[in-house]
Amino acid sequence: MSVSPLTKEGELAQANKGYSLLDDPRVLGWGSIVLMLAVWEAAAWLFNVSALYLPRPSQIIVALVTLFGSGGLALDLGVTLWRIFAGFAIALISGTLLGLWIATSFRVRAVADMFIAALYPLPKITLIPLLIIWLGTGGPFMLAISFLGAIFPIVINTVLGVSQCDQGLILAARDLGATPQQIMRRVLLPCAIPSIFAGVRLGLGVSIILVVAAEMVVGKAGLGARLYLAGQILETEQVFAILIVLAMLGIIVTKVQDAVDAALGNWRAD
Amino acid sequence: MSAVAIELDDVGLTFAPASDAPTVALEAVTCAFEPGKVTGLIGPSGCGKSTLLQIARGFLSPTQGSLQFIDRSNGKATPRPAMSTVWQAFNLFPWLSVMDNVAFGLDLAGTPQEQRDARARRAIAAVDLTGFEGRYPRQLSGGMRQRVGLARALVMEPEVLLLDEPFGALDAQTRLVLQEQLAHLVESSSTTAILVTHSIEEAILLSDAILVMTARPGRVAARIEVALPRPRSVVTTRDPSFSGLFDHIYGLLRDEVMRAMVTGQEDAQ
Repeated sequence: MSVSPLTKEGELAQANKGYSLLDDPRVLGWGSIVLMLAVWEAAAWLFNVSALYLPRPSQIIVALVTLFGSGGLALDLGVTLWRIFAGFAIALISGTLLGLWIATSFRVRAVADMFIAALYPLPKITLIPLLIIWLGTGGPFMLAISFLGAIFPIVINTVLGVSQCDQGLILAARDLGATPQQIMRRVLLPCAIPSIFAGVRLGLGVSIILVVAAEMVVGKAGLGARLYLAGQILETEQVFAILIVLAMLGIIVTKVQDAVDAALGNWRAD
Repeated sequence: MSAVAIELDDVGLTFAPASDAPTVALEAVTCAFEPGKVTGLIGPSGCGKSTLLQIARGFLSPTQGSLQFIDRSNGKATPRPAMSTVWQAFNLFPWLSVMDNVAFGLDLAGTPQEQRDARARRAIAAVDLTGFEGRYPRQLSGGMRQRVGLARALVMEPEVLLLDEPFGALDAQTRLVLQEQLAHLVESSSTTAILVTHSIEEAILLSDAILVMTARPGRVAARIEVALPRPRSVVTTRDPSFSGLFDHIYGLLRDEVMRAMVTGQEDAQ
């Protein structure tokens, strides 16, 4: 639970008045969403807004249930998740290994620095036309786009994490008889894990964006393709329903990352 | 019991970075670290004490002179004996528990699980940390962390223990208690040890002989035998011969520290 840095309001309130529902960030977070939906529902009903323009939350929920029930949205969700995480997993493994190599070899670093400087700032979405020419629009293309989204932040953060590793730890490991390979696996890699995880956060976010965007451009299946199609035929409830699925995906990914982050506490000295 | 002495003959080390003027860290150091004895290394900051330790460990190669390991039982040169270091900054692995930190060297060597656990537990018990095996370094006080550092070195059963200002980062009281514990440990084993320290008191309390070093470039100014009876403790510090030794070493050091301070000022300018 975090407390505002400006005031100690939260702490003081709890000390003085005991527990209040409004001191719980979860109640505040979820409560405000429920409140917003209620106002939306009421306003759309009151002013008789066309569902084509802004459907009511209740209509969106019906669309969501229908899409999952008979519309095969679960399959699309599965397809999208597979594309995101398969490419991301390849990026995580190869990016970590590549990062370790770059960080421990002066020559490899000199070479890689140039490539990273050229490719990292390039918006990956601009690579979609080229990738389609090379790979078509099938599975390999989707894997490549997800991979490209994640690889750079993971490599860069691995290099950063390894280079920030305390020299004393490396000396201590050498003193205890570690070979260069053992130092890499048992000291440099664990040292870099919090930093690698920061790269995972950035990279996974980009992978999600790229895969959904690519699906919107070329996909026949997947959340992005369904979203684009629903927009084309003015099924506004469905557009909102798919956006909700994407938002939920975002919440789950963020919460899992927060949990992993908390579990990494032991990795940090003091 | 190990009979291997470490002999340095005319050892010098000059750091010559490409972009900067060379620094002479050590010059013409000739000394011996006798087996089964604790040798203290004391001198002003930057005099190359830790550098000398790194040379003995083999992490740095001297640019001049030679380093030899001599078996005192037959006078012949032998390969480098097993060595372990205890560090001023502890250098514990923050992601490993006390148990896994202590067993780190055993794991590297592929020691079988049962033997690994038994040896690590024995080392942890030797530094009075039984019950803390599952804790992580950040959950321990400075004194406890350094006891883990000591256990991690001892578990390797080194023939030579290198102590690089082991209590330098600890508060005065913790330091006193750990000095006594370490004195007890070295008395009950027959490990060869080299102790780098800034504290004259610590050097006398723990050492059989003390090498006083000069300001940079570091050389050995004097070798002082410490004949105080063991076991030693805080009580030893009230022994008249203790104060005699203290004054003698302080006298030697004082001028060197002054010189180091002046040189330091020149360096800063």
